[in-house]
Amino acid sequence: MDFKHDILPLKNIIFRTALRIVMNREEAEDIVQDTLIKLWEKRNELEKVENLEAFALTMARNLALDRKEKMDNQHVSFDDEEHDRPDEGQGGTDSHLMHLETSGFITDIINALPEKQRTIIQLRDIEGKSYKEIASVLSISESDVKVTLFRARNELREKILQKKSLFL
Amino acid sequence: MDYKYIEQLLESYFACTTTLQEEQILRSFFSQEDVPGHLAQYADLFNYETGAQAEKLSEDFDERMMARIEATKPSVTKAHIVKLTTHHMAPFFKAAAVVAMALTIGRAAEHAIGEQEAEENSNVVAVDPYIKSSDVRQTIRVKDVSQAETKATNDSIISIATKDEIQ
Repeated sequence: MDFKHDILPLKNIIFRTALRIVMNREEAEDIVQDTLIKLWEKRNELEKVENLEAFALTMARNLALDRKEKMDNQHVSFDDEEHDRPDEGQGGTDSHLMHLETSGFITDIINALPEKQRTIIQLRDIEGKSYKEIASVLSISESDVKVTLFRARNELREKILQKKSLFL
Repeated sequence: MDYKYIEQLLESYFACTTTLQEEQILRSFFSQEDVPGHLAQYADLFNYETGAQAEKLSEDFDERMMARIEATKPSVTKAHIVKLTTHHMAPFFKAAAVVAMALTIGRAAEHAIGEQEAEENSNVVAVDPYIKSSDVRQTIRVKDVSQAETKATNDSIISIATKDEIQ
């Protein structure tokens, strides 16, 4: 088990998943560091792990949920702080930018969803993971994943259609 | 152009019956510039999904991460420190061994000379025993010490070599 070769490459997917939960870049980066350190400390047991990425994401999500709880208990509101808007300012081609003008709107809808729905949208629609892997990350059944994803996608559709009707 | 296929995929998407591949087709479709009006409302959603894949940690993350990993590694350097110490101490060990051997053999020689003196004192009357014995004593000492030095040096080299092997 080599750190740079086997563990470090997981950093960005862990970062995005953690960011979706805590909605704060600094906190999310701390979670990435803590997760990678934990994985490295457990490196001798990792040979037995079937899906290292799912294992790492489960670990990261648990750390993120703990941090989020602490943050909420401290009454620190991150609502006014930077919302993650990866589409603004970085990534994407010029053709994307045309469509992305209003996508702060999508960010806001997703971030307003309950954590489980947010995480599942992240893993399915952004990371492109199978239902099986998502179920493994969240330690729930595949049908639970589908039901939760269904709610999240339909909330998004509803908000999109509401917005459209406002402009008509 | 007929958009039935895309419309069907959209319905399946919201019913959560699309495959990962079909979801990728939707994202590719909406990344085009000329999405027809009745579908354009969904462009933001799928382009958001595409854009969010590019979210990354800052460039200097690896540096900070590796610093933390280095800090958690068990210190392998301990063994090196011991080795270095042995090498530094080697001349001292050698010198100490030479001195110890010289002292031991010197003392043994003195003891032997003492016996010899007694013999000579009893047998030879005409020759001054003190002059002779002190001459002999010196000769033996010089000879034995130079032998002792050679032996001690060899011994200490062997013992240092053995120590290195053990490490």
